[in-house]
Amino acid sequence: MSSPGELKLSGWEVGETRKLPGMDVKKIGKDLYEIFIGPQHPGSGHMRIIVRLDGDVMVEVDPDLGYVHRTMEKLAEGRSFIKVIPLVERMAILDACNITLPYVEAVEKLMDIEPPERAKYLRVLLCEINRIASHLYGMGIFGVFLGHSTMYMWPFGDREVFVELAERLTGARLTHSYPVPGGVRRDVPEGFTDDLRKAVRYMRKRLEEYRKIFLDNPVIRARLEGVGVIPRNLAIELGIVGPNLRASGVEYDVRMVEPYEAYGELDFEVPVFEEGDALARAWVRVEEIKQSLRILEQVADKLDKMPREGFMHDKFWAKAPKLYKDVYSREGRVKLMPLFANLKVPAGKAFARAEAGRGEIVYYVESEGKFTPYRVRVVSPSFRNAIVFKYIAPGHRLMDLPAIYGSIDYFPPEADR
Amino acid sequence: MAGVVDTIISWIFWPPLFQLVIAPGLVAALAIVIFILWFERKTAARVQMRVGPYNVSPRLGGALQLIADLIRYSFQEPIIPKTVDTAAFILAPLAMLVISVVPTAAIPVSPLPWTWPIPMEHSLLVALALTTLSPVFLVAAGWASNNKFSVIGSTREAFMVTAYELVFIISLLAVAAPVHSYNLVEIVEAQAGWRMFAILNPLAFLAAFIAILMSTSGFPFEIPESEHEVVAGPFTEYSGLLYGIDMGAAYIKRYVMSVLLTIAFLGGWKPLDPQPGAGLLAGYIAPLVVVLVKATIVMAVMSFFRAVYGRYRLDQAVDLAWRVILPMALAGYALGLIYGYLGVI
Repeated sequence: MSSPGELKLSGWEVGETRKLPGMDVKKIGKDLYEIFIGPQHPGSGHMRIIVRLDGDVMVEVDPDLGYVHRTMEKLAEGRSFIKVIPLVERMAILDACNITLPYVEAVEKLMDIEPPERAKYLRVLLCEINRIASHLYGMGIFGVFLGHSTMYMWPFGDREVFVELAERLTGARLTHSYPVPGGVRRDVPEGFTDDLRKAVRYMRKRLEEYRKIFLDNPVIRARLEGVGVIPRNLAIELGIVGPNLRASGVEYDVRMVEPYEAYGELDFEVPVFEEGDALARAWVRVEEIKQSLRILEQVADKLDKMPREGFMHDKFWAKAPKLYKDVYSREGRVKLMPLFANLKVPAGKAFARAEAGRGEIVYYVESEGKFTPYRVRVVSPSFRNAIVFKYIAPGHRLMDLPAIYGSIDYFPPEADR
Repeated sequence: MAGVVDTIISWIFWPPLFQLVIAPGLVAALAIVIFILWFERKTAARVQMRVGPYNVSPRLGGALQLIADLIRYSFQEPIIPKTVDTAAFILAPLAMLVISVVPTAAIPVSPLPWTWPIPMEHSLLVALALTTLSPVFLVAAGWASNNKFSVIGSTREAFMVTAYELVFIISLLAVAAPVHSYNLVEIVEAQAGWRMFAILNPLAFLAAFIAILMSTSGFPFEIPESEHEVVAGPFTEYSGLLYGIDMGAAYIKRYVMSVLLTIAFLGGWKPLDPQPGAGLLAGYIAPLVVVLVKATIVMAVMSFFRAVYGRYRLDQAVDLAWRVILPMALAGYALGLIYGYLGVI
């Protein structure tokens, strides 16, 4: 077996390829070392990050997306309107309600219907449960990227509380397909709001413990403070969205800017941090969870006061078969209404957006008056955030890459669609 | 018949063999590492709202999990990639494992001369010198792998060696100064009662403790194998038994260094005080058990950090070692010199 020492280094031009046993070696630059992090790598997710190193410092970082591209937009053109919902929620199964809601809203705009009051609150309820679950998932991944195994296990364990709540509300742990045109699939089960309040109290207590073990941990602070700073003007220029934008001092949240569903009637704040570093991005998520808990409490009070009816628009409810209404009055829960199988949406173009866990998600839906949409266009938050790697990571050390990746809470399946 | 048994016992307990192969050498090291890994997994699980290892031997609380893991590693196919330097690739982990254990030959576990495998006059220096050998093979393993992640991991290990090695040596020399001797037996004998060097010279003790964490990739210094940038660092290309040996060697090294720390700072076999003429049990086994128990406690404390800390960045760890820990070790050494000058011990 020949040894690696046979490679002749003299007179080797940049760009020239030479042979090594079992591999070709190309010189990419003077004193540069190129490593491919991903797509099969414990720290990459479903993507590849091409890193060029000078010593320990990253000179060039190129996020290479597309490994989980599923042609969702094209697939949506061949499916009936209701079947697009379970399709697009595969983008971020742990944030399913937030991800599908703007699509449903766009279809509602085309049909010119407005969901009843109770349905709006039910949508907000699941949206906030999803937002908390999504942030907890992101924090867990962030924790393990920094080698903090406790911060990996705790949020994943506590996320179970909210996944469980979502399951009791919708029947599914992750892909809920809960909002449908005209309302939601079903009402809350008995005793749900009491458990919701219990979960809110539990999570408040846990957030304090997260602060003690993770956010105020000297090792973690040393890793995060001043790392991956996105200055305010750069964040705006690159079009960053969501918690990452708010950590850079920009107060922008679709729930505030253009209140949808019941958000206009709820009392909450949008946490904004000025630093723009990885620690600020971690803190924004914690503060957002606190605000989501506040919203959940208000929604629970509101749902208790409201009459338990009207989770579906009257126009659809009137068309429901008698058997369907009988089952509902007897059991308090029903399956999806049969009329959705042949939902015909009037011709037109509609646009809707919402604040998902990772930022603003935008849908453009065009209908020709048939059973299937003519075009569904999605702009997902992770896709808009992916560019950050290229501009923020260079100049940092290689060990900062997981800290930056984790703090951005980048989710490849959501970006690739 | 009795003569045969005596002969066999005297062979087994022949110090050069017993000390290296059985206790505190290889066999005891493996047993304690198995216990410590189980303890580490269980405490981390307890902190993290989990159960931890359970399915293997549920009655023992999953204590045999690591043995099951080792069996799995041994039956896995050891894949040796085409691009590696085969001889170095195979020999480096084996050498690392063996050389990690070698310092136990220089570590006394009893004050009685017939239990010493080598003369103990300069045993502290010998033990220290032997502990510094194994990182060479870790770097060699990464270099032989011919993989970019391995090379980065090896380079990190090399950086870490420069950071902790000096700290470890200086902080251990701090116990030699007050005793005016490099003889580990005399160092232990000087620590009668509560006059342990860990209490008299906490600076040197803490510096040595942190140096052990750094040298064996303990949290918060788990940097060469940092999974999220360099996969498994120097061990990226390893599989099967060789990977198991790679992973075990770091723990064995930690164990050996903990034994050395126990002898130098925690009073070794004190409070026992074997008298000349004591038999095998009172003169050899009992003090040995005391040393092992103390070393196990040291390792258990180190394991607990896994549940509390993340990992430092490489430059932060090296910076910490040179700017904070090294001055601390030097201060500890100065304190030791003062004790020696004043004749406190």
